[in-house]
Amino acid sequence: MHKEIVEFLNKEVAGCDATTKEVEVGHASVVVNADSVKAVCFALRDSSDYQFNVLQVVSGVDFEDRIEVNYIIASFIKNIELILKVKLPKAGKDETVKVESVCDVWKSANFLERETYDMLGVEFTGHPDHRRILCPEDWEGFPLRKDYVVQEVYQGMEVNPASKVNQDDFDFLSKAKLDAANPKFVSGSWDGNVSPELSDALKRKMEGLESNKEK
Amino acid sequence: MENSNNVEKLHTDLMTVNMGPQHPATHGVLRVEIKTDSEIVAEATPYLGYLHRCMEKHCEHLDYRGIIPFVDRMDYLASMNMEMGYSLAVEKMLGTEVPERAEYIRVLVSELQRVASHLMFFGTYAIDLGAFTPFLYAFQDREEILRLFEELSGARLLYNYIWIGGVWNDINDEQLRRIAKFCDKMEESLKKYHDLVGMNAIFIDRTKNVGVISEEMAYQYGATGPVLRGSGIDWDLRKKMPYGIYDKFDFDTVVGKGEMGTVGDCWDRYQVRVLEIFESLKIIRQVLDGIEEGPIIGKVPKIIKVPEGEIYVRTECPRGELGYHLTSDGGKNPYRLKVKSSCFTHTSMLGELGKGQMIADFVATIGSIDIVLGEVDR
Repeated sequence: MHKEIVEFLNKEVAGCDATTKEVEVGHASVVVNADSVKAVCFALRDSSDYQFNVLQVVSGVDFEDRIEVNYIIASFIKNIELILKVKLPKAGKDETVKVESVCDVWKSANFLERETYDMLGVEFTGHPDHRRILCPEDWEGFPLRKDYVVQEVYQGMEVNPASKVNQDDFDFLSKAKLDAANPKFVSGSWDGNVSPELSDALKRKMEGLESNKEK
Repeated sequence: MENSNNVEKLHTDLMTVNMGPQHPATHGVLRVEIKTDSEIVAEATPYLGYLHRCMEKHCEHLDYRGIIPFVDRMDYLASMNMEMGYSLAVEKMLGTEVPERAEYIRVLVSELQRVASHLMFFGTYAIDLGAFTPFLYAFQDREEILRLFEELSGARLLYNYIWIGGVWNDINDEQLRRIAKFCDKMEESLKKYHDLVGMNAIFIDRTKNVGVISEEMAYQYGATGPVLRGSGIDWDLRKKMPYGIYDKFDFDTVVGKGEMGTVGDCWDRYQVRVLEIFESLKIIRQVLDGIEEGPIIGKVPKIIKVPEGEIYVRTECPRGELGYHLTSDGGKNPYRLKVKSSCFTHTSMLGELGKGQMIADFVATIGSIDIVLGEVDR
């Protein structure tokens, strides 16, 4: 099915560069150019062969160099579903990346895109009501990014006061980072409060990894 | 002449009323900001996030088995169904085969959970509309299911029962006999409840032609489950894309027909849920006939490492379709686990549904889409 969709998209939407890759486990996806995502969605919804009439979910995934936004769409008429993927190169910590909103195609995109913005900092241009949804309006940072560190003070309140935190919770994440092949892939929001011996060990590991890279 | 002009000149202000976050009609901690023009809702904006625990972030540093108690806590009224979807997603990535008896038990507990969840809807919806007694009846029957689950898993609400590869604990013959007895009793009493509440003239007046969701709107907003079926669309994932062993069972999809008013009104959604209990009982009876002795958990490695890739698995839960988008980098814990919550998408409809309704009708509408805030905020 994916190959036919890629052919159809490349014919219908100029410059969308749709590609797909066969996978051994799980589901394959169709990757398209980020600039043409809205045109692609319109084409998929209005085509008589596919009739993707429902946007199931917008799911963002944060990688080291890019953020992938997955539009999981389904057709309740043809009984098919598809993972449509765009890749957005990341600029820096806490900097948003931009992609066009698909709210005009499916109204359900409204809340789903707001959630993706709130959690991963993907800005959807042309969104009618572009606000945070789960976190408070004045929250800083994007929690589901791997490099997210929770803010220290929110509205004059200390977020994780030393008297109320369980040191084991913080150490748990650092230990997970020590065990992982690449610590950067382990997400943890409380980097600051790790016990000194663990943070030293972690620092040594990171330095070791970087010197390996240089070699 | 002079007088009528004056009336037109009369200036009425919109008043802002906050419904929630603590309000019996919002079924949890949902806040809806309503701009009212006397008794009429001019604008309704839902505000979410009061129960936000960022469970998706927690999952990123838990191992695959450790996530099951976390998914329990999303829709706490349908924990079994939450576990089922998650286990299916991991099993599909691993290629695990689930033993037949475990599959049967899974369907059994999922359907019992669906009955319990719909009973909860039945009770609370009647309360929303001013009838208190049905709530007690519903809880009496729900209690029996919860007792059984307590015997099976040790917990009444958050079970951690369906595990990757099978189920945790076996079910015995005595319990199966009890379930059979429960089915007979439930069917009889449900007919009575439906006559008492669903056919009540006041109930019908309060729900017919209220909060109508058209077919087009249901698709646009990505509605699923009973909300979609209430709008007259014949779509049930258990039938259209069977998962587990649902293709073995014979049952009907209940669709709203607009018997009391318009297709897709509150009464239709109520009716779909109540009649779905009968269908669930049908499935449970077939499970009881078909279940055989055997192992209850398949071969799963001690430390689960899911191969690199991604998968999207959806299952039919009491409140709609629940989807798990699992991205793995080959490690011990998922790289990203995104949950598609049907309640979340249904909440986005409230703004459009509320416009132009009376406030009391808006309460009926919120109740009829049956949201659980634990799943909305995750």
